[in-house]
Amino acid sequence: MAVKTILSRRTFLRGLGASGAMVCVGLPPLEAMFNSSGTAYAATNGTGRGSPFESRFLLWFNGNGIPEKYWIPTETGSNYTLTPCLSPLAPFRNDVHVITGLDNPAARKPGPGNDHHRSMSALVSGTSFTGQGAGCASIDEVIAQKIGGDSRFRSLQIGVCQESFGESIQRNLSWAGRDRPLPPEMIPHKLFNRVFGTKDVDWVTRKRSILDAVREDAAALKTKLGKPDQQRVEEYLGSVRDLERAITSLPPEYSKVEEPDLSGDLKDWPRIAKLQTDLLVHAFAARQTQVASYMLSKCQGLSRFPWLGYTALRHHDYTHENVETPQGMRILRDICKWHVEEFAYLLAKLKSIPEGEATLLDHTCVLFIHEHAEANSHKNNGLAVIAAGHSGGLKTGMHTKMTGTIGDLYWTIADEIFQSRLSGFPTADRKLSAVV
Amino acid sequence: MLSCQRPILAVALALALIEPALGQDFFSKNVYPILQKAGCRSCHAEDGVASATRLHFPPDSASNQEIEAFGTSLASLVDHENPELSLLIRKPTNRVAHTGGERIAPGSEDENLLLRWLRQLPKLVPETLASKLSGRSAHKEIGTMRRLTHSQYNNTVRDLLGDQTRPASQFPQEDFVHGFKNQSEVQSIPPLLAEAYSAVAERLARNAFRRGDTHNLIPCRPASWRDAACRDKFIRQFGRRTFRRPLTQDEQSRYVQLFAREAKHSGKFLTGAQMVVEAMLQSPNFLFRMEEDSRPEWTSYIVASRLSYFLWDTMPDERLFQLAAAGALGSPDEVEQAARLMLKDPRAQQALDEFVSQWLRFDRALNTVKDRRLFPQFNPGLAAAMTEETRRLVAHLVWDRKDFRELFTAEYSFLNSDLASLYHLPAPNEEFERVQFPAGDRAGILGHASFLTLTSKPEETSPTERGLFIREHFLCQRVPPPPPGVNSNLPPLSEDKPRTNRQRLEIHLSSESCSGCHRLVDPIGFGFEKFDAIGQRRETLALTFFPARGDEEKRKPTKVELELDTNANIQGISDSEFSSPKELGAILAKNRECQMCVVRQLFRFAQGRTEMPEDRPVLEGAFQTFEDSQFQFQELMIILAKSMALSSDARSASAEGSGFLFRKGERKVAKSDTKRHPQSLAMPVSVDTRQSFRR
Repeated sequence: MAVKTILSRRTFLRGLGASGAMVCVGLPPLEAMFNSSGTAYAATNGTGRGSPFESRFLLWFNGNGIPEKYWIPTETGSNYTLTPCLSPLAPFRNDVHVITGLDNPAARKPGPGNDHHRSMSALVSGTSFTGQGAGCASIDEVIAQKIGGDSRFRSLQIGVCQESFGESIQRNLSWAGRDRPLPPEMIPHKLFNRVFGTKDVDWVTRKRSILDAVREDAAALKTKLGKPDQQRVEEYLGSVRDLERAITSLPPEYSKVEEPDLSGDLKDWPRIAKLQTDLLVHAFAARQTQVASYMLSKCQGLSRFPWLGYTALRHHDYTHENVETPQGMRILRDICKWHVEEFAYLLAKLKSIPEGEATLLDHTCVLFIHEHAEANSHKNNGLAVIAAGHSGGLKTGMHTKMTGTIGDLYWTIADEIFQSRLSGFPTADRKLSAVV
Repeated sequence: MLSCQRPILAVALALALIEPALGQDFFSKNVYPILQKAGCRSCHAEDGVASATRLHFPPDSASNQEIEAFGTSLASLVDHENPELSLLIRKPTNRVAHTGGERIAPGSEDENLLLRWLRQLPKLVPETLASKLSGRSAHKEIGTMRRLTHSQYNNTVRDLLGDQTRPASQFPQEDFVHGFKNQSEVQSIPPLLAEAYSAVAERLARNAFRRGDTHNLIPCRPASWRDAACRDKFIRQFGRRTFRRPLTQDEQSRYVQLFAREAKHSGKFLTGAQMVVEAMLQSPNFLFRMEEDSRPEWTSYIVASRLSYFLWDTMPDERLFQLAAAGALGSPDEVEQAARLMLKDPRAQQALDEFVSQWLRFDRALNTVKDRRLFPQFNPGLAAAMTEETRRLVAHLVWDRKDFRELFTAEYSFLNSDLASLYHLPAPNEEFERVQFPAGDRAGILGHASFLTLTSKPEETSPTERGLFIREHFLCQRVPPPPPGVNSNLPPLSEDKPRTNRQRLEIHLSSESCSGCHRLVDPIGFGFEKFDAIGQRRETLALTFFPARGDEEKRKPTKVELELDTNANIQGISDSEFSSPKELGAILAKNRECQMCVVRQLFRFAQGRTEMPEDRPVLEGAFQTFEDSQFQFQELMIILAKSMALSSDARSASAEGSGFLFRKGERKVAKSDTKRHPQSLAMPVSVDTRQSFRR
């Protein structure tokens, strides 16, 4: 709930930095919100002054897979031709690296669920679907657990298209651990309130006392419980701590963040996608978090596409019915092109935010993934991934066919760009030098 | 490196002494892998389709010792005179007709190895066989806390505060696991849900006192914001209702402090109260139900909560609280009396409706999508009517004390005009009036549009899906998922190759890798082919081929009609040939596994978990009561409520617990009775979430 505030929400700031003025009462200083090893990531800054801008990680997803014929470029190297699906990326050729050929081997291990369940769990965590959820933490959460500790939000999960078969593994992209989904925020004004809603100090103090009481209740309860129940309570306590941090740290003054219009069609996906992207980019820019995930549509997603004229069936059905026909292929091409358009919108937004001498895109690493490559055949060996941004020396401007697994890619990025010092990642074998 | 949690199996075993003729690990190293490769466990498990056989494999996670023990236990299934003639070798090689087909090639090296093992089993000393191990593994330690489900949260805040807004509809949705949305295994509270609880608590607390104490939450008239006596009384009483048991001394002081600071700051009694309400609604003592506690004075309160959340899907009422306070919920008689009274209360209907809507997957019926060209009459209103029909039939059977088996055989239903039109019947005088069906194929839940629709695809029916639903929801049998990478698209239909589903699915039944499992489901679904994807009856299959976009001018849609053969049967149930939903309904109603499955489903819902071997006495006792009462569902609810309410721990009745189930003079379940129910109970198995089986 946004209440009349002390701070003006629309004050301009002349560049970000530790000088951001903030009125806090008994709150941690802004410096604590900087990752102190952020100075090591000055990669493309080029000023020689050492940038205080930390690297951001974004896991970006749309469900069901792609029509390879219209998506995967035939040539490799820097002079590849953009395919119809990738054409929206034309202004961003030098900001992206199209990576094809990576394997997702954990998707093929026998176990419960259908291909989508297995592929999804394997895609985000490198482990098998448990029957309820992912087998392990997802890559974005693995990174967040290493670098997110100082941010107001350890990580943010954002979503757009709601239509889904409804199971946990299909609805959620980020996983805090085995069978522990982190549901995405799907509604723009709720996301806004969460991240940018400013509250007055009284409200904050009040909430704090309440959460103190809740924490005391939980601590007392824990002592009486057996191990599995203790874990349950501990998990709740963790969520309460996150909540406390989220509401008690006032966001710093920041350049205008428009509150999303409360009216308007909540199912107009292109509009919602852009609103959510705007908020995500502002959240990064305002240092509210370093790690986020963006789920444009659900795994095995069921979106309809009225703005494209495709409403007879839903996305998942389109990927399996009549796909051999020219009309069927055209439909898939148009759908996937729309996905890439939203991705291009994201890149444009990231690029439009100055950070020091560079832009936010220069300090971000985005990974655009899907649970399958060729959608109809549920192909999971030879995924199509786009890495974007310039954080930490990401190589961009080309299309590379790689061997190796998606786990290799994650490990490479986590260690080389985010200094996570992981000893590995499920299904990772080696680092991919062609990436960073 | 981030480590994933893994379930821990604590194994307490004594190893059998095996003649070292074949070496200590011979079975687990050489023979077991063959059986794993052959995929035996997918059917030969306690909840698999071959559960009625005597061959049950240990779970996936079994340790080496357990596997060795299992290998030794095969001695009881081998023909001691002629091991080569044992079914153990003749079935998997299909020398004797095996429902699972040929899993081990006759004459192969694999067969030889298995035979070597079987040959030496009769040589084992009888004593070692007597100490045969069933490979008991301690189960993953289960928790005893259950979070309020979203429907329970809604009902509880309505009963606690008078709030009618059903705020939990804004929470991140719950997921179906083991067929229900309330399984405690997956009831975590991620940050997004914690935030939602916080925001809702704030709103509810504010609204509670917006225009003064409109809901009479304060049991006294405070003289001022300083009135400590009134404050303490309010906190004590409201706290007892919210935490569903008396507050501890610490809790009382904690909330008094919270109240006092706020009331002083604002100068108003009600803002102090509001603060307390907001905080308590976020306490784990409110959000979670403890299933056990060390304080004996809280036992009756726990019983009260168990009863009210099972039978009413909401918090206890004042009467139950008083019984709890008086310790009057301690004996089976008292619990039964309370339960019977509770079933007469209208709140019992909301609990039954919640169970039914989950068990019969109303969500799938409500969210399904149909091709608009083929089914223009299908819309959300019709889908809602379909679920209402089913809801009403079950409600009638339960509250009007009918034989619950009529769920499968009822030759009547409760229809509105849209449904009547769908069923080609005249419109009823009143919406959802009881309508008798004319003689025909349609009867019971298997003839309901809800079931027929949710098991179909957008354009056509799916026999596989229908067979699967019946196996899982009405026989409690798990069917293994398709192997990874398999292309489960049916061959496409085209004008020059129009085919029925039976013809297209022949691939499943003729291919070695598919038939083992598909023989279990497809042949059931064929019996329903005369009911289309939205439940309408059709005598023939009418296929419509639409012209491609752009060709509409030149060509009209072409129609082809094909004959339908609806001969069907259920593998594993003898004399189960049928050719219509009505005939299958009659078979299921008489079938023990189906009747027991009803008990198991209600158990899963009531307990928030799947059945474990320790639950066997309770389940068999409940079944007995259900059967003895002529399958009155209310009696099943009462008996399960009794056993649940009084069990000393959440892992359900021990022998002492099941003793509570029967009064003097009632039949007790004797050990020999277990032979009447050869179907064993499910061990916790990996969940096979089938909702989106369609790939």
